[in-house]
Amino acid sequence: MILSLVLRGSVFALLWWALTEGNFDAWWLGGILVMAATEISRRLIPARTWPLMGLLRFIPFFIERSLISCVDVAWRALRPGLHIDPALVRYPLRLPEGFPRIFMANVVSLLPGTLAAELEGSDLFVHVLDGRSNYWRELTQLEQRVAQLSGVCLHAIPGTASRQDGS
Amino acid sequence: MNPADSLTILLLMAGAFFFLAGTVGLLRFPDIFTRLHALTKADNLGLGLIVAGLVIQADNWAIVGKLLMIWLLVLLASAAACHLIARTARRKKILPWKR
Repeated sequence: MILSLVLRGSVFALLWWALTEGNFDAWWLGGILVMAATEISRRLIPARTWPLMGLLRFIPFFIERSLISCVDVAWRALRPGLHIDPALVRYPLRLPEGFPRIFMANVVSLLPGTLAAELEGSDLFVHVLDGRSNYWRELTQLEQRVAQLSGVCLHAIPGTASRQDGS
Repeated sequence: MNPADSLTILLLMAGAFFFLAGTVGLLRFPDIFTRLHALTKADNLGLGLIVAGLVIQADNWAIVGKLLMIWLLVLLASAAACHLIARTARRKKILPWKR
């Protein structure tokens, strides 16, 4: 509990330091704001354990996919002709409710050729730029990564395998 | 010109290129969903490259932190805005363009 408060406070103090570019003239204001932010975060975000390894492994994956995604969309935008074949697909999420699902919905839009259109219960509606691309593998791979990141196990749900074959 | 400056110029130009590509996509793609694809993704990398170019020129670590924070906040805002626009379009029954 104390450790969690100290950690939160340190993160906010670090943010203040970066925002003021290392200038400590207004340290008293920073101190008040850091304490207020710590208290607000304690009320809004319950204490949870962060799998550090999962987080560290997620960053290179995220950067790699973002790079591919941008080059892909830039190439489709710039080359002559319209090289897209869009589709709206339903992806049944295996992730638990709350943070993992919201995180997944946010990151989907930055992956190659996919865009989260709506999160409805356990279904994520995804707009794909090219229905012929391997977007399903992209989505399952991301879901696996998000599960690792939030420290949960994914179990197969009925119907996933057949959908995978059909797409 | 020292190597750091050359690298900055390269990164800034690459960033500007992706912003341009995103804008071309915004103009050329046929519907709201495909345009969102172009904007969010290209701007994400475009800004990332510009931030990387500026980080090289930063005088101290606080500025590096500030620049990275700007990038992360824009990523978060663009993902959320993109999702909200796509969701509104879907709720208004705007059908995705089909080939």
